[in-house]
Amino acid sequence: MADRVNFENLVASYYGPLYQFAFSLTRDEADSCDLVQQAFCIWAGKGHQLRDTTKVKTWLFTTLHREFLSARRKEARFPQIDLEYAAAELPVVPPATVNQLDAAQVLAALAQLDEIFQAPVALFYLQDCSYKEIADILEVPLGTVKSRLTRGIARLHQLLTGEKNKMPKPNNL
Amino acid sequence: MNCDEAKNILLLYRHDTADADDPQIAEALAPAKRDPELGEWLEAHCARQFVIGKKLRQIAVPAGLKEQIISEQAAQERMNSWRPKFALLTAVAVILLLGTLAFFLFPKPGSEDTLMVYQQQMVGVALRGYAMDLTTNDPGQIRAYLAQNHAPSDFVLPEALKQAALTGCAVEGWQNTRVSMICFRTAKSVAAGGQSDLWLFVVDRSSVKGAPIGALPQFSKVNVLITATWTQGDKLYLLGTEDDEQAIKQYL
Repeated sequence: MADRVNFENLVASYYGPLYQFAFSLTRDEADSCDLVQQAFCIWAGKGHQLRDTTKVKTWLFTTLHREFLSARRKEARFPQIDLEYAAAELPVVPPATVNQLDAAQVLAALAQLDEIFQAPVALFYLQDCSYKEIADILEVPLGTVKSRLTRGIARLHQLLTGEKNKMPKPNNL
Repeated sequence: MNCDEAKNILLLYRHDTADADDPQIAEALAPAKRDPELGEWLEAHCARQFVIGKKLRQIAVPAGLKEQIISEQAAQERMNSWRPKFALLTAVAVILLLGTLAFFLFPKPGSEDTLMVYQQQMVGVALRGYAMDLTTNDPGQIRAYLAQNHAPSDFVLPEALKQAALTGCAVEGWQNTRVSMICFRTAKSVAAGGQSDLWLFVVDRSSVKGAPIGALPQFSKVNVLITATWTQGDKLYLLGTEDDEQAIKQYL
C-alpha cells in the first residue's frame, strides 16, 4: 500500500514535466504519453534499485530520454532537416515581439535544431535544470552539455528572431 | 574577456537560477555590470530566455494522463500477482493432461502378465533359439536340474508326452518367476542342426493372468507354433510344436 502511495505521489510530481520534455522531443501527443508511461513502468520495475532518492527526477528523465533514443533507432524514420532550409519555413519573429510567440512556434523552432541540441535545450528551458543535471540526464560530460547548449540556444534564437547572430564555436563536441 | 566572449558564455545564463554560481558565468557577468551595452544585451537576452521557457512550459499535458499511468500500473501489478498462480495452474493442467495421455496411450503394467503375452514370449524362446542348460534324455536328471535351479520340477506329463524323446531342458524367466522348459524330439525329422521340435513350458499358474482353469487343453496358433495350454494343480502347462492341432493332440 505504501508503495502504491509513493508511486502515485511520484507520478503526480513528475508526469507533467516528463510529458513536456517528451513532447519537445517527439512533437506527438501519443508518442509522448507512451514515453512517460514507459518511464514510470520501468521505474515500477527497477526503481527500488535506486539508492539515492534525491536522484529520482534525474533517473526518470534519463530513462525517458533513453527510451526516446531507443524508439528513434528502431523507427529510423525521422529525416534530418538542413537548418538553412528549415529556417526559411519558420515565421521570423522580430526581436521586440518574442514575447508574442506561442508554444507551437517555439516547438517548431526547437524541432529544427540539430538532434543533439534538442534534448539539452528542452531541459534547459522546460525544467530549469542545472547544467550538471542536464549532463546527468543525457549521460554526457558537463563540457559537452554546455557546448551543445550554447550552440543550440544561439540557433534557436536565430530561428525565432531572424537575427543573424554569429554562431558560437563548438567546444567539446 | 571581450564583449563577444561574454555574450557567448552568457547565452547559457538564466536569471534567478543557480547559473550565476557557475564560475564561467560568474566571470562573464562581471563585465556585464560594467559595460552598459553588454548589460543591455544581457537584460534583453534574459527576457527572451524567460519568454521561451515560459512558452515551452505552456505545453498542455493531456487530461487523464496521470490517472492512466496509475491505473495501468495497478493493472500490471494485478497481472504480476496472478502470473505465479497462472503458472502453477498451467503446470497442474499439463501434469493432468500428461497423466491422462499416459493412462490411455501406454500399456498398464498389469497387462503384461496375461496368458497371451506368456504364450507369445515362450513361443518366441522356442523359435528364436535357446541355449539348452542340460542336454539329456533322462527325466530324473531333468527334474533334478530344474529343482536345483528353483524352476518347477514337480510337473505332471501326459502319458502320451512321456513317450516322446527327451532332449534336455532349460530355465527361462517370466514376471520374476522361473519357467521350466522341457524339450522333446518327435518321431519325424527336425531341421538340420535342430535337436528339438516339441517344447513344454511349465510355470506357476498364479503368475499368469487369464490362465485356463481346467485340465482341458485350449489350442491356439501362436506365431508358427500350434500350442496347447492347460492347468493341472498349481501349474500352467504350455506345449508347442510346428504342426497342426491334430499332431499336438497325440501328445496329450
